[in-house]
Amino acid sequence: MSKESPRRSSVLWLFGLAIAIIVTFLTSYEVFGGSLEAMQETPSWPAVLFVNALVGISVALFVVELKRDALRVLMTVGLALLLGYFVTVIFNMDAASRFSSGDFTVQLISDSEPVDNDNTDIEYGRQRGGEFNQPNAAEPLTEATYTFEGQAGDVVTIVALAANRRSEVDMQVALLDPDGTILAEADSISADIVEAETYEDVRRETDALIENFELLQDGIYTIQASPEDVPFSTTMSEALNQTNVAYEAFLLGPLSRVNRWGVWIQDALTLILLGVAFAIVFRAEQFSLGAEGQLYFGALVSGAIGLWLTDLPPIIVLPMAVGGSMVAGFLWGLLPGALKAYLGANELVSTLMLNTIAIKFYELTLTYQLKPDDAGYIASDYVADAAQMAPIVEGTQVTVAVFMVVIVVLAAWLLVRRTPLGYEIRIIGSNIRFADYGGINTKRTIMLAMAISGIVAGMAGAHLALGIHRRLITNISFALAFEGVVVALLARNNVLVSPFTGLLYAYLRAGAQFMERDANVSFEVVRIIQSVIILLITAEAIASFFRQRRIRRRGQVVEDESSPPPALAADASST
Amino acid sequence: MPLIEAVDIVKVYPNGVLANDNVQLSVEKGEIHALVGENGAGKSTLMKIIYGLEQPTSGEVRLRGKPVEITNPHIAIEHGIGMVHQNFMLVDSFTIAENIILGKETTRGLQVDRKQAIADTENLSKQYGLYVDPTRRVEVTPVGMRQRVEILKALYRGAEILILDEPTAVLTPRETDDLFKAVRNLVQEGKTVIFITHKLREVMEISDRVTVMRDAQYVGTVKTSETSEAELARMMVGREVFMVVDKPPSQPGEAVLKVDGLTYVNEAGRKTLNNATFTVHEGEILGVAGVEGNGQTELVEVLSGLIDATSGMATVDGKNLLNAGPRQVREANVAHIPEDRLTNGVAAQGSIADNLVVDRYYRKPFTSNGLLNLNALRQNGQQLINEYNILATDGDVPIEALSGGNMQKVIIAREFSSNPRLLIAAQPTRGVDIGAIEFIHQQLVNKRTDGLAILLVSADLQEVMKLSDRIMVMYGGEVVAMFENSPDLTEEKLGLYMLGAERQTAEEMEKNA
Repeated sequence: MSKESPRRSSVLWLFGLAIAIIVTFLTSYEVFGGSLEAMQETPSWPAVLFVNALVGISVALFVVELKRDALRVLMTVGLALLLGYFVTVIFNMDAASRFSSGDFTVQLISDSEPVDNDNTDIEYGRQRGGEFNQPNAAEPLTEATYTFEGQAGDVVTIVALAANRRSEVDMQVALLDPDGTILAEADSISADIVEAETYEDVRRETDALIENFELLQDGIYTIQASPEDVPFSTTMSEALNQTNVAYEAFLLGPLSRVNRWGVWIQDALTLILLGVAFAIVFRAEQFSLGAEGQLYFGALVSGAIGLWLTDLPPIIVLPMAVGGSMVAGFLWGLLPGALKAYLGANELVSTLMLNTIAIKFYELTLTYQLKPDDAGYIASDYVADAAQMAPIVEGTQVTVAVFMVVIVVLAAWLLVRRTPLGYEIRIIGSNIRFADYGGINTKRTIMLAMAISGIVAGMAGAHLALGIHRRLITNISFALAFEGVVVALLARNNVLVSPFTGLLYAYLRAGAQFMERDANVSFEVVRIIQSVIILLITAEAIASFFRQRRIRRRGQVVEDESSPPPALAADASST
Repeated sequence: MPLIEAVDIVKVYPNGVLANDNVQLSVEKGEIHALVGENGAGKSTLMKIIYGLEQPTSGEVRLRGKPVEITNPHIAIEHGIGMVHQNFMLVDSFTIAENIILGKETTRGLQVDRKQAIADTENLSKQYGLYVDPTRRVEVTPVGMRQRVEILKALYRGAEILILDEPTAVLTPRETDDLFKAVRNLVQEGKTVIFITHKLREVMEISDRVTVMRDAQYVGTVKTSETSEAELARMMVGREVFMVVDKPPSQPGEAVLKVDGLTYVNEAGRKTLNNATFTVHEGEILGVAGVEGNGQTELVEVLSGLIDATSGMATVDGKNLLNAGPRQVREANVAHIPEDRLTNGVAAQGSIADNLVVDRYYRKPFTSNGLLNLNALRQNGQQLINEYNILATDGDVPIEALSGGNMQKVIIAREFSSNPRLLIAAQPTRGVDIGAIEFIHQQLVNKRTDGLAILLVSADLQEVMKLSDRIMVMYGGEVVAMFENSPDLTEEKLGLYMLGAERQTAEEMEKNA
């Protein structure tokens, strides 16, 4: 745990710089599809490069700040992804069912004259068909039998095939003589015949063909057609293939196009702000979950300012709107802080209650004050152009909020590491009784920590209201607020690491969206992966909690060497 | 043939810590064998190996000459090895008899035979002269008796060899005497006792032979009758230890701390501090003697601003200390070494440098223009680490990585370096090893000689008697005696006041005020 030598720390910084450059390059390479022309054709490509450089710096900060712990964070996420992979495989186990279901056709071909018999199903030169294992059917068809009348000397050819391009059913077919004994069977067609296109509609080797079979007696023959049984190996390999496709969409989707990249970054900006907000209160060991309520008030105030001040220039309106959100967040954070400090109200309970109040107040105001009368759904008008955060990358919601986030992260870092207040927050977080003993005004500090956290959460609200939606809508936080807890915990409550963990978490969220869209994997699977991550983080937190306790207990043993607990001592003295 | 031996024991913990390095121990039947060493010397590890709580990396334990594998405490108990831990392992809500028979109950039908349990306990108690009250619940039992319960519990399970892990740490002087009597009884009854401690005076008093450990290694085994405290200390620390502090006569100056009629009523409505009146002068150490829990803690907490007094007054150089909070107390030039190091004295996850400035981080040079001056913090850390011999590479090392003694040095460094007028030192050497005790004692005396007023509260009566210029005795929240410290003042005499058997009149106290 001791501090590394100057040489080691400069090596670390160099290493961080290398990582920053590599990450910047790789993300940009992916977004622009690896071509320089494509990059130059993209509007506002320098801004994309700039944001990617910030991403690179975030990764470098993560490595430099957490050092070996960075590996543990990555392992946590990696393990969660791995578990998610297995879950996805299980969800994809039915991928191979397309080989046993679908439309099929059976053709009966012969040069001989067809015998006309109304009691048979099919005659020479005709075809029949249906659908095997139709999903949702009450009694799905698993085998089709067709009878025809044949005469000795007839030479017949039977083709069983998937009826159209959509159907991938793997056919097998058998010919039974009038006594019911099997004369011929087939479950495939040789590649040559498929190539040669001898038979119309035959596209796959998985179709089945009985060719030029000579009938030896007169009578009613039967054709049996059914899908082949799918071997387990095929089931598995299909499930894995599907999962690989899904995971590719998951892991590379956010970088596949500039607009998708934008979705990632815009979400990340919100999450980083929330992560910083939570990191500040968690640093002071206050389990305050008020960010959601502060976000709603921040969004409401900034949105309202944006709606009312329509004829002022952006340079005045935007700072006013953002400033308003900061004040709102500050006050809504100060309230539970004061309740905790002076009335001893548990911050966990009070912030959750205040969240509900904030959300309902937001909805009330939105519905009855801000919504235009003629709007058919609950949303305000768009805020004035001057109040909108201007996009810096065309076609995305990546706005000037990028700069706001950079400033917030730096300011939060300065606060925690370089100010007396930050010192007080850190000491309180480590041991509040020591802080009291040392003369720190713990009540005031706790209140301020919660209020400052509120400022940052309020800004996240402004980002949503003025940058992303550009108006006020219901459910504006879209459940992002609590994801901020994960961002802060993953970052070990280190504000300089929050940008990385925010980006990482937003990346997983964005990837999940694209996985759902491209690979038809349900969002639920993605939620499972996210839950696994949270579980693993919690498990890690528990592990370090027990480590702490052991240290305390060890200290306790030392203490015990010369003193009984006072109550007992008093008792002892009276005996 | 020795009864129990540990031969060439090596223990490496999974985290790479070498706790025992070729340790030897040989205990004869019927002896009291003391095992001494500083904190972290490996005594406890060795005992855990013998009791089956840990497995040695190499080496073996022999019982009556035969190697035995003790893989868990049950096997140890089968072999007749019993251990009394430092932290008692009793069920608080059970009676003493129930605790003693727990796990080896005689049953009648489905029920525990309580009468039998009580009878067994009484017999055992008589046989070994260890008085307990079988029907008393443990939670209302005093510490000394709890310890006897632990010993009886081991005996009930057929222990022939008893390991006592720092048994006197929790006892008052009188209880210690009782314990020693009981231990001698046990030996007369044919038992063998291994006695772990780091208090040399007790070693000299009770043991037949002593094995000394230092830094995980075996230093040697000597007969108690052929050694001295000084020699044992040298063996433990590895160098000459000056058990006597160099203490010039006191030259008290003007009064610094004036306490008058100080009273504190706790939440339960009890007067835990009752009408305390005394004065501490420049250049003197006023020691507070008393059995713990007689108002010392409250006195310290009220004076340092952690809790509010109910009535009375206390001033330092005329400035009020009461009900103003720790910041104001510290601004009045009062320093405070808290009695509970880990609870109050440090932020364990914080760095040394951060811990060294908790009382002054907001002042120049540590804060200038509203920002912390990291350089000043670092320099301050480095300087105090050097000045107070704190074993750490630099100020960025977190407190939790330090040993108890070094943590205490961090606290001492912080409190001394604030240039106080008054120092309130509560249990300044609790749980600290001999080398560090020596250092802390000398520092206290030096500061007092330089003119600091010190209020010393300690549960270690010897420490109070060694360092103080005057001694004040507290009993039941009251100041019951005030003495000028002199060689005539004996532990026994103080003990009478500490236990409430005697108290001085106001005039007698006035004489030494």
